[in-house]
Amino acid sequence: MSCHCPGGHGSRRDFLRVGALSGLGISLSQYLELKAMTAPTSAKVQACILLWLDGGPSQVDTWDPKPKSAFKPISTNVAGIQISELFPKIARQMDKLAIIRSLHTEENNHGEATHYAATAHRPNPGMKFPSFGSIITKETGHRNNVPPYVQVMEMPKGKVYDEFFKAQFIGAQYDPMVIPNPNPLAGKGQIQNDVKAFDVPDLSLPESLSVDQLDDRRSLLKLVDQTYRRKVERAEFSSMDTFTGEAWKMILAPEVRKAFDLSQEPEKTREAYGRTGFGQSVLLARRLVESGSRFVTAGGYKGQAWDTHYDNDKLLRDTLGPSFDQTVSALIADLDQRGLLESTLIIAMGEFGRTADINLDRGRDHWCYCWSVLLGGGGIRCGQVVGASDEHGAYVADGGVSMGDVFATVYKAFGIDWTKEYMHPIGRPIKIANSIDDLTGTPIRELI
Amino acid sequence: MQHSSRNRELLKKAWPALVIVLGFASLGSAAQPPKSADFQTDIEEILTKRGCNDSHCHGGVKGRGGFKLSHNALVPHEDYYWIVKGGSYQVLSAEPKAPVNPRIDLKQPEKSLLLLKPTSLVAHAGGERFKVGSDDYVTILNWIRDGAPYGDEGAAKIERLEVSPSYVFLPPNGKQQLRIKGHFSDGREEDLTHRVLYESNNPDVAKVTPDGSVSAAGAGEAAVLIRNPGHIAYAQIGVFTPRLANYPHVPSRNFIDNYVFEKLRNLNIVPSQLSTDSEFLRRVCLDVTGTLPPPDRVREFLASRDPHKREKLVEILLNSPEYVDYWTFRFADLFRVGMGSQSAATVGMPWEWVRKSVATNKPYDQMARERIAAHGYNGPSRYFEHSGETAAFEKKMAEQFRVFWGRRLECAQCHNHPYEAWTQEQFWGLAAFFAKVTSTNWNVAQVIFDDPDGTEDNYGEGAKTSVSFVKATNPRTKKEVEPRFLDGRVLPQQARADLRMELAKWMTAHDNFAEASVNRMWGYFFARGIVNPVDDFRSGNPPTHPDLLAALGRDFREHGYDLKHLIRTIVNSRTYQLSSVPNKTNQHDEIDYSRALPRPLDAEVLLDSISILTGVPEVFEITSQKEMAPPGTRAIGLILPARYPSRFMDVYGRPFRDSVVERDLKPSLPQALDILVGSTYTKKLSREGGRLDRLLKSGRSDREIIEELFLAALSRMPSEEEVAGVEKLASRRSKQQAMEMLLWALISSREFAYNH
Repeated sequence: MSCHCPGGHGSRRDFLRVGALSGLGISLSQYLELKAMTAPTSAKVQACILLWLDGGPSQVDTWDPKPKSAFKPISTNVAGIQISELFPKIARQMDKLAIIRSLHTEENNHGEATHYAATAHRPNPGMKFPSFGSIITKETGHRNNVPPYVQVMEMPKGKVYDEFFKAQFIGAQYDPMVIPNPNPLAGKGQIQNDVKAFDVPDLSLPESLSVDQLDDRRSLLKLVDQTYRRKVERAEFSSMDTFTGEAWKMILAPEVRKAFDLSQEPEKTREAYGRTGFGQSVLLARRLVESGSRFVTAGGYKGQAWDTHYDNDKLLRDTLGPSFDQTVSALIADLDQRGLLESTLIIAMGEFGRTADINLDRGRDHWCYCWSVLLGGGGIRCGQVVGASDEHGAYVADGGVSMGDVFATVYKAFGIDWTKEYMHPIGRPIKIANSIDDLTGTPIRELI
Repeated sequence: MQHSSRNRELLKKAWPALVIVLGFASLGSAAQPPKSADFQTDIEEILTKRGCNDSHCHGGVKGRGGFKLSHNALVPHEDYYWIVKGGSYQVLSAEPKAPVNPRIDLKQPEKSLLLLKPTSLVAHAGGERFKVGSDDYVTILNWIRDGAPYGDEGAAKIERLEVSPSYVFLPPNGKQQLRIKGHFSDGREEDLTHRVLYESNNPDVAKVTPDGSVSAAGAGEAAVLIRNPGHIAYAQIGVFTPRLANYPHVPSRNFIDNYVFEKLRNLNIVPSQLSTDSEFLRRVCLDVTGTLPPPDRVREFLASRDPHKREKLVEILLNSPEYVDYWTFRFADLFRVGMGSQSAATVGMPWEWVRKSVATNKPYDQMARERIAAHGYNGPSRYFEHSGETAAFEKKMAEQFRVFWGRRLECAQCHNHPYEAWTQEQFWGLAAFFAKVTSTNWNVAQVIFDDPDGTEDNYGEGAKTSVSFVKATNPRTKKEVEPRFLDGRVLPQQARADLRMELAKWMTAHDNFAEASVNRMWGYFFARGIVNPVDDFRSGNPPTHPDLLAALGRDFREHGYDLKHLIRTIVNSRTYQLSSVPNKTNQHDEIDYSRALPRPLDAEVLLDSISILTGVPEVFEITSQKEMAPPGTRAIGLILPARYPSRFMDVYGRPFRDSVVERDLKPSLPQALDILVGSTYTKKLSREGGRLDRLLKSGRSDREIIEELFLAALSRMPSEEEVAGVEKLASRRSKQQAMEMLLWALISSREFAYNH
């Protein structure tokens, strides 16, 4: 079930336990207590990184090469699998990756499709659905004081899109901590400018506050609150106390803020990932997973960067392709070297694919009926392709897969029961892996 | 069986009949089974009484084991089909899945699945529902032998169930037998006590036997639901703790108090004392205007000896500009002003409409009709403004029912409602009223109108007709549905010129509208609605005080749906003005209004309160677009609140109006983090020109400053302990630092963040 990669993992995996410093950077986990809360101990995968490709990448130009694409297929380091010539570096890591070419979903507009990709449900004005990142966070629990679910950065299309990735009725504690975007509009073409540092306002004590000042504040708060709380004891107050305790721990523990501090990474590493919004977001995702986060969504593209209605080929060739190739291959190599590849599941997807035919603006339009998703890392059988599209890459020819099946696969990799249902307050049971026609998704057999 | 002398005479004449009668009697229990049963009354009664069509079993959305019955025998024709013709049920299609095997066997009736399964002669996941040879068994067997008749459609049907007693108050070991009477459409009455299904919704409080005998289990409240084909009724059960020897006299100020206190008396719960002036002042200011009273007003109110000062305060608040601000915000939430489909250019219009309606105290039924039937290019019609991501017309319809009738019909969109009496056909019949909504672009502006013919004619120069919904089609049967009211009446053709106005008139004249509206308003002043959640009226969720709800609805209607009158009635009641401090008898009460329950402030109100307290207004801006709300705009005054980034408001549950607004106000980790490091909690404290800055510069003493801050934040004077604590801190650190910390502690406290 694990990825068979050449070269030894052994020594790298050990260093996490023993605490030796690696050549690439200081291991964060040596600072942190590993506190198992609700994680199933036999689970293979401990964390997931979702690379969010806002706008919907074209499948025939990337993972499912077809004659109508302007890009030629190239061989990979797995016999029989070819991908687009846009990704030469990734092609050499195909043994650590898997491709689904037969994903069929039901929404063809950005908003609805993003909601669908995050929850596997079609949007409904009467009810909100929890995202699969929130579900995984809830089912696996904290590993230590690091926020378990983080979104790097805000969704480029705005807060409405952030909503789709939240926990909704299962509880605000499973919402992602969203890192604000320091400079959403700057950058050439589709790619956002480099991010020098991520600001995490949720965890940043104002510089003017010293620790003893905090103590005074705490005791004064206790004094002010006590008359009222003596009068009116409420269960909500004690749960707020618990949260306040956790909050203090998160803020006062330097290792938590360090996890978000990219300046701790050597220049070499930052260069390797790529000096772009996407590159640095993915690097931060690696740091967070290493520190103990469970689910990190890495964005960093400009709004709908992959939504190539115009000049599809030019945009892919000039900016989107090369930066993706660089960043993702760097991530895989980095995780591998740190011994994190087996315990980290990677997903790279957007909200849909694109049309098999070029339109009048030299572009491709939205297409949800058959598209591709890239997976990698731990918990799944790598070095293979699941399903097939037809000769043009427009319709599923074999092995159709739903978003619910993808979720079920990820849940299974974590050791989560994918047939679970949560009860919505309105009284309707919600599947955590929702497939088409009200069926439950099933883990994809080729992968897990 | 007893034989009277009269019977003996008959016996001599009719001994063959006697043999038959005795034959039946030998099969077992007290009541005689009818000789010829029909499906729609007798068989459906058994299927309901034995729980077969319960929503957990065959009456659930998908049925069970391929066998589907309508919940509570709502649709006997369909039930008949599934039993007599057979087939496996599919949710999303009207076609049965093959194979299609009848569940009755006309040639060998004893071998019918309908008899084998419920008696467990064949494996049945639902277990044994009745025994072989019981009355139910014999009824069904004879019915099959008779050829399984459906029954006479024209026969008199039960119109309603009468439950007596419908209010039951029991001591801890008490028992009460319920009697159920069925009233038929031909005027007849029948005792149905042994023919209905009883369920307690709270067995920890009260249990009920299959024959309707209620027994108390523990203290509290329960409802016993009573079900008969097509009908649901309930009895309210209250189990009280040992009777109080001297229950105090509790004065009433208006009819609300009468109902509330009577029920508390029956439950042996003593209401709390009246709130202190501090408590009342802060609470009523927040509930009526969303604004904290300034320190001077607090001092004035606390010092006043006027016995009518509370009523006078209420009048001042009702006529204040802050009242208009706050209730514009509340209704903007409810009517989803600024939701996704409204264009930035026009979103000011619905907001203005709401504001004007609130400012002129427009009757609420008029507001409702203006919104439901909105036409043209105006404020309320912006709700129907189309864009690429428009909500389908049936969803628009369902939303009106949720907003104005407090009923959630949405489940009935795809299948008959799982536990209520709404069918999918009824849902689409209502949706048909919205099926003709069309819009035309005239010089960019979208004009909304109904296009009854659905012909999409060009409406003139520059007009571009966009989305037009023409047919309301039941997605399961694929047939078109005509506009039809819930009571079954189809809207006649000649009245279809203004479909939505017809629906609006019917909806707002109905009792449901008055009751749902007062219930929703009630929910803004108490921790819950009389029906809770406030927009979830259904038979399985009965009101805690049905008579109070009905009385409030009547009063609202009789006063022309005047919102200010309703608010005044509520806040002037003693019930509203009770303290939040519990006593021994009421500390566990969460639903009977024996005291005020603390409620967390909404995000916008909390942010405004912090801004007012610190004297530093919030700046709402979108830096990337260089767009800013006018300085001094309050959070409740934002027209498009979700537009402006605000970590604080997100963390406190600011809703997006793209779907029905529901706020989650539970405490959370992000809130805790924000209190510790959020800019709202740190940057406003010492800002130049803010309240603290001005107080410090004014040269006031420590004590004076402390008092001022407490009055502004909590509408009360500080205790000596609190003053001493701050003064001690001020001597250790600087005066400024200590006061800053006090201000931080005040805004971070539970007392500040809650309405109590």
